[in-house]
Amino acid sequence: MSDTKTIEGVTDAINREAVQARTAGEPAWLASRRMHAWEVYEDTPMPTTRLEEWRYTDLTEKLLLDSLHLGSVEARPDDPSTFPAGLRQAMDEDREASGHLVLIDGAVVHTDIREDLSGKGVILCSLREAVEKHPELVETHLATAAVPPEEGKFQALNAALWTDGVFFYVPRGVRLDLPVRVTRWISESGAAFFSRTLIVAEPTSQVSYVDEILSDDLAAQTLTSSAVEVITQDGAQVQYVAVQRMGRNAFYLSQQRTLAYRDSTLDTLNVNLGGSVTRVDLNARLMGPGANSDMLGLYFGDADQHFDHNTSQDHVAGHANSDLLYKGALDEGSRAVFRGVIRVHEGAQQTDAYQTNRNLLLSDEARADSLPNLEIAADDVKCSHGATVGQLDEESLFYLMSRGLPQAKAERLVVLGFLGEVLSRLPLGGVQEKVTRAIEEKLASHG
Amino acid sequence: MPKNEVIQGLDLDTYKYGFVDEEKHVFRTRPGLDEDVVRQISAHKDEPQWMLDFRLKALKIYESKPMPKWGGDLTHLQDTLEEIYFYVKPQDKMEHSWDDVPEDIKNTFERLGIPEAEQKILAGVGAQYESEMVYHSLKEEWEAKGVIFDSIEDGLRNHPELFRKYFGTVIPTADNKFSAMNSAVWSGGSFVYIPPGVELDTPLQAYFRVNQERMGQFERTLIIAGEGSRAHYIEGCTAPVYSTESFHSGVIEIVVEKDAHFRYTTIQNWSNNMYNLVTQRALVHENATMEWLDGNLGSKLTMKYPSCYLVGEGAHGNILSIAYAGDGQHQDTGGKVVHAAPRTTSSIVSKSISKGTGRASYRGLLKVHDGATGAKSNVECDALLINETAKTDTYPYIEIDEKTASIGHEATVSKVGDEQLFYLMSRGMSEEEAMAMIVRGFIEPIAKELPLEYAVELNRLIELEMEGSVG
Amino acid sequence: MADWVRVAGEGDCPPGQLLGVTAGGAKVVLANVDGHFYALRDRCSHADFPLHDGFLEGSELECLHHGAKFDVCTGAARGLPAVRPVHSYPVDVREGEVYIQPE
Repeated sequence: MSDTKTIEGVTDAINREAVQARTAGEPAWLASRRMHAWEVYEDTPMPTTRLEEWRYTDLTEKLLLDSLHLGSVEARPDDPSTFPAGLRQAMDEDREASGHLVLIDGAVVHTDIREDLSGKGVILCSLREAVEKHPELVETHLATAAVPPEEGKFQALNAALWTDGVFFYVPRGVRLDLPVRVTRWISESGAAFFSRTLIVAEPTSQVSYVDEILSDDLAAQTLTSSAVEVITQDGAQVQYVAVQRMGRNAFYLSQQRTLAYRDSTLDTLNVNLGGSVTRVDLNARLMGPGANSDMLGLYFGDADQHFDHNTSQDHVAGHANSDLLYKGALDEGSRAVFRGVIRVHEGAQQTDAYQTNRNLLLSDEARADSLPNLEIAADDVKCSHGATVGQLDEESLFYLMSRGLPQAKAERLVVLGFLGEVLSRLPLGGVQEKVTRAIEEKLASHG
Repeated sequence: MPKNEVIQGLDLDTYKYGFVDEEKHVFRTRPGLDEDVVRQISAHKDEPQWMLDFRLKALKIYESKPMPKWGGDLTHLQDTLEEIYFYVKPQDKMEHSWDDVPEDIKNTFERLGIPEAEQKILAGVGAQYESEMVYHSLKEEWEAKGVIFDSIEDGLRNHPELFRKYFGTVIPTADNKFSAMNSAVWSGGSFVYIPPGVELDTPLQAYFRVNQERMGQFERTLIIAGEGSRAHYIEGCTAPVYSTESFHSGVIEIVVEKDAHFRYTTIQNWSNNMYNLVTQRALVHENATMEWLDGNLGSKLTMKYPSCYLVGEGAHGNILSIAYAGDGQHQDTGGKVVHAAPRTTSSIVSKSISKGTGRASYRGLLKVHDGATGAKSNVECDALLINETAKTDTYPYIEIDEKTASIGHEATVSKVGDEQLFYLMSRGMSEEEAMAMIVRGFIEPIAKELPLEYAVELNRLIELEMEGSVG
Repeated sequence: MADWVRVAGEGDCPPGQLLGVTAGGAKVVLANVDGHFYALRDRCSHADFPLHDGFLEGSELECLHHGAKFDVCTGAARGLPAVRPVHSYPVDVREGEVYIQPE
């Protein structure tokens, strides 16, 4: 291992020294976790299309690791008047909330949480701050059961190089009536950002969390790597929403794992509208009987956008439910990959698990690949999956046009209706309107 | 008698094809595979130089390809391959009359019911014993119309131009590790040519029997269905039960010309010590139809995905697959359809049953290329689990590069419903009878597509397999 | 039309040989057929594997991975399991250097 040139993924910016620099001033447990993660990174080959999970996304062609520098992590003032316009606009839409957190180029610049909630022990803060102030909570949960480095090359890289992120903790029995809203802005072109989110919902607590990432078009390829860990303990209810609306040249990599324990509900929604390349790995684990996960996804591509959603529904315990619906519309030369697996582990009887992926092809150049898999090792289960690929429903179009709508407008409505089904399944204040507006804007730009 | 002994007894009775004949052969290669073995096979067949060159190139490609890491468990296959006989020649020449087939081989096929079936329902019969076709015959009326139904060796000998034009073009040597292996050591199989416009009203059948312990059978079949023709080909396979492993790896290439209709049916009932790794592919031209009926009941591990390349406008592909995975069996089966022309249509229906420690996996590909306008395809996979140790997987690949395509895929997994069982038992059926009836209902959509005699046989086999599965 | 990009020296890819190169981020396979150079996208239209580790026989390229065949002069598919062409790039040889014109 002395010749670093032979190790895949090691560059002038991404190397052992960079990881060591991150450990400065950190507690020993964190420093050793980073170094361990780096070793896993070095030992893990770069994923190629020969690897089943990367079959349709040629990383070596799409991600120019050598050209990336590490994002600067200098602190910025918490002064909204200096924030980019796009960020301010997104924040303005999110006034109603239990708390806010804003990150610019990977660094937390603003946090607020309602006083009555902080009084009950709710914590919303930067992950860095949590390491200092709540080390016992972070040490227990960070990159342990959820998103360990051994999951893959980029999970390991994130665990080695993360700079900051979000820590959100809700104590036993506390219920939040409004969502917590996190807004991220990326502006430094050509950089690589690594952030982590850790959400811990203690037994019988209830919370929803909306995380939005935005940027303008970027001059050079820019990588944002995000690792998300959501832990929902017995009887808790969590809604996790991630919305990605970045500009061109953004390479968005999100690795999420959700752990749903006994009688808990853990619903997720991933909305991907922007970026040049998007890769989401979502592993939902049903850990206890009575656990329930609805997994929703929505994507809408144009130009040469590439979306790759890789999901798994791991039924570790029996008597649990999961239901996945991912829908996408693809225009121009965009391309989507959906690979999902329902895994019913041995002994996980009385599992109900469903999985549906539907794609709409709006142009001759668009392409959709869908791989809905089942791996079932218990017999008393109800499992099914379905996948469809097709074009706009001619009948609906014809109907709308017969009512006097011009064709372009009718088409927009049909696309909106197709994607809207996903949003209607997670009625969360503001999210539905915000995403619908974003889709409408994107549709309108096609004329 | 303790209950498990009863069940064991039943299970032995179940496989009625497990009898062994005395080993007799005029020649066999030494165990394992190398260049010498390939040269010996070629020499015994007195082949032209180009075929020897083809085989030797294939051997190199085979050796260069890694063992697949997907599908079934092949980790011990390499050891097995070093111990098996790749070529066993049972007799010196092939016969065209049953009377001339040696007595002991004839007895084997009589026990399997072949001559009887030939009389009653078949247009022609081929029978392979170990590595060679020992019998091939075609009814005179079809011969008179120019139909060719011969051993693959006679195809090469007697129709060299036709043979060379198509051989290896549908499934190239390098397609996969086992197509490369077959290309190096192929022996036996059928050569079929249906002239344009000829419609066979009864099926052709080839029967494959392995008797020798630790042997590999490598049949190679090439079928050309001429323009506007219509025919049905059935293959059946059995072997004795040995404690050692055996190996079967066939390559089946089919060309379905414009407006032709071809159906290929497999009733695979190898003994449970057999690795069965087969490549089957059809090239389907304009407005032609290819149908695969694939029944996989036997073997230790089967990996087989019959495929249709729809390259002509309006071509149609149909795959009906049924898999039964009993104790210790893994059926990794499915189908592939590639739509490469406008208005092509296809349908895949797969039904699997897993029982005991059996595992049934569906693996399929549905690909629609850019320009295959108006292509339509539908895939349905249903898996039935008989008890809690049984496993099932579904791995469909759906790749769509054409806006006007319309594609649907659905899969369900279920266990035999308690209510269904209870209802049937309340009508006076035993639990076993009720289970058998439910399973029969489950495979009915496929059984009804078979000629009556085969449907009856399939149902009987499944019922035997289901005995002892409850309680 | 994009600018011409130098991808190799003439001697890097002798007659009867294939060579994998990159041009403006695109992966390209060069083929030397009796001294004439041709360039195709280095990705098989069957299963997206690289073509440059295949075999060249005359003007026919055989993919190492599954045996698909292509005409290197035009990119046309010549044998299953490929049914679609691969993109063919314009090639120019000047003063011993091979240039191609990416998409």
